[in-house]
Amino acid sequence: MTAVPVRRSKRNATRIGGVRPATIVWSVVAVVVAIVWAFPVYWMVNSAFVPNIELQSFIPKFFPVHPTWSNFAGAVADGSFFQALGISLAVTLIAVVGSILFAFLAALAISRFRFRGRVSFLLVLLFIQMLPAEALFIAQYKMVAAAGLLDTIVGTSVIYIAYIVPFTVWMLRGFVAGIPAELEEAAMVDGLSRTGAFLRITFPLLAPGLVASAVYAFLQAWNEFTVALVTLTSDQMQTLPLWLRGFVQASATRETDWGQVMAASTLVAIPVIVFFLIVQGRLTSGLVAGAVKG
Amino acid sequence: MSGVLVRRRARPAPYLLLIPAILVLLLGMGYPVVWQITTSFQEFGLAQQFGKPAEWVGLQNYIGLATDPQFWAVLARSIAFCIVGAAATVIIGTALALLMTRVPAAIRLTLQVSLLLAWAMPIVAAMTVWIWLFDRRRGAVNYVLGLLGIDMHRYDWLSNPWTFFLVAGVIVVWMSVPFVAFSVYAGLTQVSDEVIEAASLDGANAWQRFRLVIAPLIAPVLSIVLVLNLIWDLRVFTHFTFLQDAGGKSSEFDVLGTYIYKVGAGAGDFGTSAAVSILTLAITILLSWFYVRQTIKEDKAS
Amino acid sequence: MKKRTISGTVAATAAVAMLALAGCSTTPAPAPTPTAAGPEDITFWLIGGDTPQALRDYLVDQYEEVNGGTLTIEEQGWGDVLTKLQTQLPDAANTPDVTEIGNTWSPTFTSVGAFSDITDLVPELGGDSLLPSFVEVGEVDGKNYALPYYFGSRYNFYRKDLYAAAGVEVPKTLGEFAENAAKLTTPELSGFYIGGSDWRNGISWIFAYGGDLAKNEGGTWKSTLSDPKSIEGLEALQDLYTTSSHAPVTEFDSTPWVNINDNEATGQPEAATIIAPGWAHWSIGDLTPDPADATKTVATWNDDVFGTFVLPGVDGGVAPVFAGGSNIGISAASTHQAGARDLLRIIFSPEYQQMLGENGLGPANLDYTSSLGDDQFAKALAESAAGSKLTPAAPGWAAVEGSGLLEEFFGKVNGGGDIAALAAEYDAKIDELING
Repeated sequence: MTAVPVRRSKRNATRIGGVRPATIVWSVVAVVVAIVWAFPVYWMVNSAFVPNIELQSFIPKFFPVHPTWSNFAGAVADGSFFQALGISLAVTLIAVVGSILFAFLAALAISRFRFRGRVSFLLVLLFIQMLPAEALFIAQYKMVAAAGLLDTIVGTSVIYIAYIVPFTVWMLRGFVAGIPAELEEAAMVDGLSRTGAFLRITFPLLAPGLVASAVYAFLQAWNEFTVALVTLTSDQMQTLPLWLRGFVQASATRETDWGQVMAASTLVAIPVIVFFLIVQGRLTSGLVAGAVKG
Repeated sequence: MSGVLVRRRARPAPYLLLIPAILVLLLGMGYPVVWQITTSFQEFGLAQQFGKPAEWVGLQNYIGLATDPQFWAVLARSIAFCIVGAAATVIIGTALALLMTRVPAAIRLTLQVSLLLAWAMPIVAAMTVWIWLFDRRRGAVNYVLGLLGIDMHRYDWLSNPWTFFLVAGVIVVWMSVPFVAFSVYAGLTQVSDEVIEAASLDGANAWQRFRLVIAPLIAPVLSIVLVLNLIWDLRVFTHFTFLQDAGGKSSEFDVLGTYIYKVGAGAGDFGTSAAVSILTLAITILLSWFYVRQTIKEDKAS
Repeated sequence: MKKRTISGTVAATAAVAMLALAGCSTTPAPAPTPTAAGPEDITFWLIGGDTPQALRDYLVDQYEEVNGGTLTIEEQGWGDVLTKLQTQLPDAANTPDVTEIGNTWSPTFTSVGAFSDITDLVPELGGDSLLPSFVEVGEVDGKNYALPYYFGSRYNFYRKDLYAAAGVEVPKTLGEFAENAAKLTTPELSGFYIGGSDWRNGISWIFAYGGDLAKNEGGTWKSTLSDPKSIEGLEALQDLYTTSSHAPVTEFDSTPWVNINDNEATGQPEAATIIAPGWAHWSIGDLTPDPADATKTVATWNDDVFGTFVLPGVDGGVAPVFAGGSNIGISAASTHQAGARDLLRIIFSPEYQQMLGENGLGPANLDYTSSLGDDQFAKALAESAAGSKLTPAAPGWAAVEGSGLLEEFFGKVNGGGDIAALAAEYDAKIDELING
């Protein structure tokens, strides 16, 4: 990190110890922001518990005074939710593991070696992320179909990995660069095996970076819609976004049943929220280590 | 795996390490990207999709776009949306990150969990709930504004392009700020207290402290989150698709993403749609040129 | 509600359909003569949930009996099916063997060669008794590629109580319809609730005033929004929308029946009249708690409060409305042509046509329209279908729809725009796409 010249001022500092009132003000601001930011999420969960009959009123229900499970029951009634949950989990898992692994190896190459084509490779990774996906689906379909992987978890996952890898390489290379190779060498001098050195020294240092990348990969794979639509062709192979969209559309053919739609949305969100809360601690430190060196 | 970490001079090693990533990129993106580029120079419609040979038309698709005022309108709107959206995201995200450094741990955690919830919302779920919040009849937004004395009775946010884009902007910023806030906060925790302390002892006010001490230290993270948000906001698609399904669908409500989809999947002109994609790519590179150049430079230097 | 609007284009040539509805039901339909081509497993795409489960089960059972193979029915959503048709239909390994398709998309998919030539099969499937306008959109150079699956046109629902209170009667002409709507309108009530961008209903006014969306001049289609008669219709629509509808100008895909029912909060409806597909009557009525689930309500039709009438023409009679419906075709890429043809035979069999009618779907074979029953809904459906009119059978029509130009045009017209200028502008835009 570069040292920064601080311009000297003649004026004396006016508040060195007296920060308390300011802290209170900032705390109030922070709580208000937290409430505002979480409100849509609260609204979704709240509405999922409000009986449909009350949701039809023009006066919004800010609390589920008469909470009900019937919206959830309606959303999972035909069992297709659980099927889609399974597909989504499988696709996401493969995509996360695959993209992290491949990206980690590539990040090693980029940050530990100087080689021909290195900068070009980096730029290709950056540019690929900029290409809009909305016109790609015809070609993606043809490719997956030609490989005989249409309507399979693997076929869709491979496209996801290709989508996710560029950004994760970009993210991870900062982490890897931040870990001096000398550290590992030193550990080996101290008698640890190569694997031991990696597992004990390098891996813990990398873990936050891997978590931050995994979060990104998870969100991408969990949310993706268009590729899933064209490559997962049968009803049995729907991912959750496809399921939710189908559910919302089916509901809209009559009068949208907001209670059920919110319950369905909540169900789709729960796995991600759980995942995020699990990795939360690591995530912050992961971003710390990686982003600054970006 | 560990070995390669330290074997710095082995020549084929970097290439071996790159093989899986390159392979998966070729598999997953190679053909589509090549297809996209060639199709942008062809007349490619539904008939070609059903087997009619595609005809090479040179730059005709691009010329057609260049002479179409509607394309320019969409482009201008998209760029404006992307710049305003990315700037707002980075400013708000940085402000929240600074806020996190000013509050006690418990409150910081509350704020972080709240941001995390927003970040974790699957986009389909998020759009559904936002659209309902802005619903003209039963939306909480109109109701709350009504309580505050602003009469929005039945106001349809999604039928006027300005309020439509305002709503889209709010949603996009809401979803992207958490990433920025966490990244910048992460960067800020690297700024040692002594540096800031020293600066305040020297009499720098808050703004000076930020501009002269903190900003330069977190400049790398600011530039990466800015460039990422520029990229993401320029190719934004899903948000607008959902909003268009709920509100206005005409070209005044289009951004590049929805335009590409409308021209391609909607009107069946895949050639032009591919050309718009390539142009979007070119424009994104231009917009993020400051970052690209900086990356190359840093790389040469290191 | 996306579903109806995309598929939703009917269109029958008034006279022929009327004749068919009125008199032809005595002609016996040819009995299906299934061929024994060996068992083939085939896939059939239905779009949206219109086809009831009982009918699906019937198809699967019959197919097994006739062909010996397995029929898999997959349901696609109207919102995304276009994408899936574009990718899967040309792909022999993954194409559905038979698919339902929005009838307005039929000319486009037919002209690019997506469907197999089934001209030889037509006499056996119903021949001249098949809804002519639907047959026409699936035709290229006199050969048949796609045939009607079902139709369902739109008619009006109104509040008898509000009409009585305002002292208006069911209108006899389109002019009267507009006058009534204006009289019924209050700040809280739309005399006639119609979305500003709802072109599928809006074009009824163009048709009613003798205009058309496009015409074929020597093999080339030309958009005719600027035709003086089209303009006249658009002026009437703009006037009606401005004075009598509180629907947003961007609303194109509405569920208007929520407005004609009493609102939960106010106990008042927000619309005195709506136009909707016939099946909307299941959602219209007095709202009472659902006995099966107390957290929900169900609508029970109440003849004292709700009524139906067919949109009247300018000089009385029936206006040519836009009705909903689908076509059906065999994928040209399918490797199971024989099995697919077996399925068509089952679908066009008297039993299945009868079943369609009994479930409120207008049967493709007009000999069986009597199966719709004789309640007011069936009558309104038959009457409005007789007057209904099709969107142009132009190869590029799906592109015109897909590009959203029509929503845009009607939205701008109803937003108070200058009709002549807009019509000229959108004629030019549509001309670019309409010939494919």
